[in-house]
Amino acid sequence: MLQEYIPVLLQILIAGGFAAAALILSVIFGKSAARNPTKDSAYECGMLPVGPGQARFSVKFYLVAMLFVIFDIEVVFLYPWAVTFNELAAGAVEKGQNFFSESYAFFWGMTGFLGILFIAYLYALKKGALRWN
Amino acid sequence: MLTLGHYLIASGLLFSVGFIGVLLRRNVIIIFMCLELMLSAANLSLVAFSRYNQTAGLPDYNGDVLVFFIITVAAAEVAVGLAIIVALFRSRQITDVTAMNSMKN
Amino acid sequence: MTALFYFFAFVMLAGGLGVVLTRSPVTSAFSMVVSFLGLAALFIMLHAYLIGTLQILVYAGAIMVLFLFIIMLLDLKAEEDRKISLFTVIGGALLVSVFASQIIKVVKALPAAAEAMPELSASASEDVKNTGLLMFTDYVFPLQIIGVLLLVATVGVIVLSKKELK
Repeated sequence: MLQEYIPVLLQILIAGGFAAAALILSVIFGKSAARNPTKDSAYECGMLPVGPGQARFSVKFYLVAMLFVIFDIEVVFLYPWAVTFNELAAGAVEKGQNFFSESYAFFWGMTGFLGILFIAYLYALKKGALRWN
Repeated sequence: MLTLGHYLIASGLLFSVGFIGVLLRRNVIIIFMCLELMLSAANLSLVAFSRYNQTAGLPDYNGDVLVFFIITVAAAEVAVGLAIIVALFRSRQITDVTAMNSMKN
Repeated sequence: MTALFYFFAFVMLAGGLGVVLTRSPVTSAFSMVVSFLGLAALFIMLHAYLIGTLQILVYAGAIMVLFLFIIMLLDLKAEEDRKISLFTVIGGALLVSVFASQIIKVVKALPAAAEAMPELSASASEDVKNTGLLMFTDYVFPLQIIGVLLLVATVGVIVLSKKELK
């Protein structure tokens, strides 16, 4: 059973090796351009930097990121639904009941779920949460 | 030989690590991360029990569905919780929980 | 198998300790990703492939990115001077060690905990299908509640940051 995971292990090794190689090679070959205080200072009439070097992100980014997480969850539910759809649909057809009966609950359940999240999407649109000025 | 106990103890230890983080750290974001650790520890014992409590060679998938829902709720909770933390930071410029001791100003 | 379990449990707990013990919030967030990778590996060892994938996809992929985003947004510095009193540390450590030892004691006393995990049939690897079959038959109503919860979360996020939207 463990043999099935050898490709995963190989991929982990390759990914880790690639990252390590990139770091090590940049240290080895980067030595020729070693930094010193004179090189790091502003050139001639260049401006001396003021304040922290890291700029803060705009709040717009985090709103989009949070909305992404919420709609990411929606997609996660679609995955098992897509895998089981054929089987559930075949079972429901076999029962031969009305389309609005309980055997089609898997379809109407997902429709309802997506519908509720569509309302959330419309709300976000209406409030301008996705507008980018 | 792996037993149910192995997973339960691993889960309990992860929960304890999260617990000590909530007790000792004062940065509200770190506390929130530790809460997520505790939630994941609970998920681990749920999955271990679902694996142990099998019927006809299959794990009890009710536990897996419950974990699925818990992960979903946790994601929604993180989105709202971080929005609250950002709103708090914008009005008071603090992330230290010991400094959050007044209702107004 | 047992060696792998100890390895991944170690990765998980080391990541968890990294969250608690490091000073820089960014390091904490990355330790948490490591912890969740170990946890996902444990889920996969328990034949919960869907949950393991979800743990990486949702927790390590989306939630931790959100945490890192907020850490960068708020421009959090490492806590330079943690004036945690000795009393707090000793009290917290005592409380947690009592708690952990209680858990271990209860698990040791549980007869089921000493049994090996039962063998599974081959179809246990189709756990996405099996979970889905259950979720879309017995759990259709909870699914709607989750939908409403996500709607509430969307509204909450937008209302909480409405000020910025003018």
